[in-house]
Amino acid sequence: MSDASRRGFFRELASVVASAREAAAEPEPEAPPPELTDAEIERYSRQLVLPEWGAAAQLAVTEASVLVIGAGALGAPVALYLAGAGVGRIGILDDDAVELSNLHRQLLHFTPDVGVAKAESAAAKLRYLNPDIVIEPYQVHADAENAAALVEGQNLVVDCSDSFATRYAVNAACCAARVPLVEAGVLGVSGLVMSIKPGRTACYRCAFPVEPHDAPRCADAGVLGPAAGVIGSLQALEALKLLTGVAPPIADGFLQVDLATAEFLRVRAGRRDDCPDCANL
Amino acid sequence: MPARTLDISALTCPMTWVRTKLELERMAPGEALEVRCSAGEALDQVPRSAREAGHGVSVEGTTIRIVRA
Repeated sequence: MSDASRRGFFRELASVVASAREAAAEPEPEAPPPELTDAEIERYSRQLVLPEWGAAAQLAVTEASVLVIGAGALGAPVALYLAGAGVGRIGILDDDAVELSNLHRQLLHFTPDVGVAKAESAAAKLRYLNPDIVIEPYQVHADAENAAALVEGQNLVVDCSDSFATRYAVNAACCAARVPLVEAGVLGVSGLVMSIKPGRTACYRCAFPVEPHDAPRCADAGVLGPAAGVIGSLQALEALKLLTGVAPPIADGFLQVDLATAEFLRVRAGRRDDCPDCANL
Repeated sequence: MPARTLDISALTCPMTWVRTKLELERMAPGEALEVRCSAGEALDQVPRSAREAGHGVSVEGTTIRIVRA
């Protein structure tokens, strides 16, 4: 049993014991705070040494459950960095199989993986990277029908999908369940990143109320691998910020990144009173 | 007498400060920690990092005394 699942098991056990004690109206003793193991201190030492990071931040990510939607160009750096950082449970969702044309930008898949389900290919690499965490591959396409069930119980969702329909579905589900969300998109050599705390900051639908009519598709427009790597890395960083609070996320707006000119532009977008996804939160 | 001691003499940078930092995080403000290290890099780096983090630091030989901020 991995440290993460062992911790989960003991937490569940502790909560059962605590409920039983409460029922018996006995005073509830304080559970000892979880401690990092020697192996965890070694593995995560280069982030633990940061002034902003520490045992509390590390335990926050270790105990977190994050769903990464898409195991492609954005999902690869996101899942790799989150697994590396020690996120305790990572769900990785994709219903595609690896194609030769994916390999220039999708860092989790290699030539022998062509034809393999992306979720499984990704999970295998992530388990190699960090065997102490739980990786759950799902060969599923996120849509308006299943989004609510997929995001339920997650501490955070990172949307690495490549369609507006999926982004709107995931945004609506995360808003309804009040699950924090990191959205992003990349095309050519530019992209954007946005963090969302439902009910507290602008959601994706607040910033983009309607799908642009002329939105190009990846297959038409193309994308350079490193551009996707930059945007995915920013998305992973946002995820770590939201999980730990070590730095303020890119919220109430988005970061527009033009990698041809190396310009990073912070665009403000507030909550909308008429937002169908979050106005009532 | 300090209530806590930590021996980092077998460690190298940055693990020397990682272990010290994690120990300090477990302590209450005003509590003291005696860190034993070997002469060399740690004796230079750990007091510096502790001061930068705002803690009170004094060094005697190869023992670093840190009062948590």
